[in-house]
Amino acid sequence: MLNQKIVSSGSVYKGRTGMWLYIFHRVTGVALFGYLLLHIISTALILLGPEVYEGAEAIYKNFYFRLGEVGLMAAVLAHAINGLRIITVDLWSRGSEYQKRLNFVSLLIFISVFIPTTYKMISSYFELCIEKSSPGTTVIDCMTRPLPDWKSK
Amino acid sequence: MSTNQRTDWARRQPPTGGSNFELYAWFFMRVSGLFLVLLATGHMFIMHVFNDTLNLDYEFVAARWDTPYWRTFDWLLLALSLLHGTNGLRIVLHDNISNQNLRKISLSVLYFVSVMFFILGTYVLIAFVSEV
Repeated sequence: MLNQKIVSSGSVYKGRTGMWLYIFHRVTGVALFGYLLLHIISTALILLGPEVYEGAEAIYKNFYFRLGEVGLMAAVLAHAINGLRIITVDLWSRGSEYQKRLNFVSLLIFISVFIPTTYKMISSYFELCIEKSSPGTTVIDCMTRPLPDWKSK
Repeated sequence: MSTNQRTDWARRQPPTGGSNFELYAWFFMRVSGLFLVLLATGHMFIMHVFNDTLNLDYEFVAARWDTPYWRTFDWLLLALSLLHGTNGLRIVLHDNISNQNLRKISLSVLYFVSVMFFILGTYVLIAFVSEV
């Protein structure tokens, strides 16, 4: 251990999975902060009354935004689970010993939570769309058309 | 002599003096992160999995904010996510902007925006009175 040399060749991080997770954590973090600001604005519109608020919410109610919501869910879950991994490595005395296994376990946890939530979010979209739209509406219609204003019916 | 410019991390001494701000900021990210795992993923599951955002309307929010419990939940989520996000972005800007003036300006903008959004969000949570 006396002659152990840990030298950095400059600006480069040590590479591999840990470096990509570090970059991934920053990218999802910045993206989530941007969405947070947007979300605060759209929720604040509720002070202007039901028409303004629901007019703003109607922008979100189509299939493209549903895919965006799935992406948002992925970002939140990935940032949260990777954050728990970082806390484990930082605060558990043997964390760095098990870091490769922790990477793998984090991925498994992410997949096991993300797949069922995605299934629920997508299937629920089509169920509600077909249930509340006029008879004869197909899955393709639900994907390509913005949803009609259900409340006015 | 590039070899002499390398940092020998094994012999590197921690900086002495100064404030403990960065230590507390580091610790805050861990603590607030743990709370946000519960608050933010909880919020996501309530809105996107147990309910569907297609059903989200004025009455839904009004019913939620009828209880001080959910207003407190949402305010905690607002405060912690803004603080956690602002500190995270502070570090990202510090790491990636080398120009001193540009860094100062971008950090000032970040702090101003965060304070404004915190005031806006808090005001909405306190001032909201249902019209239906």
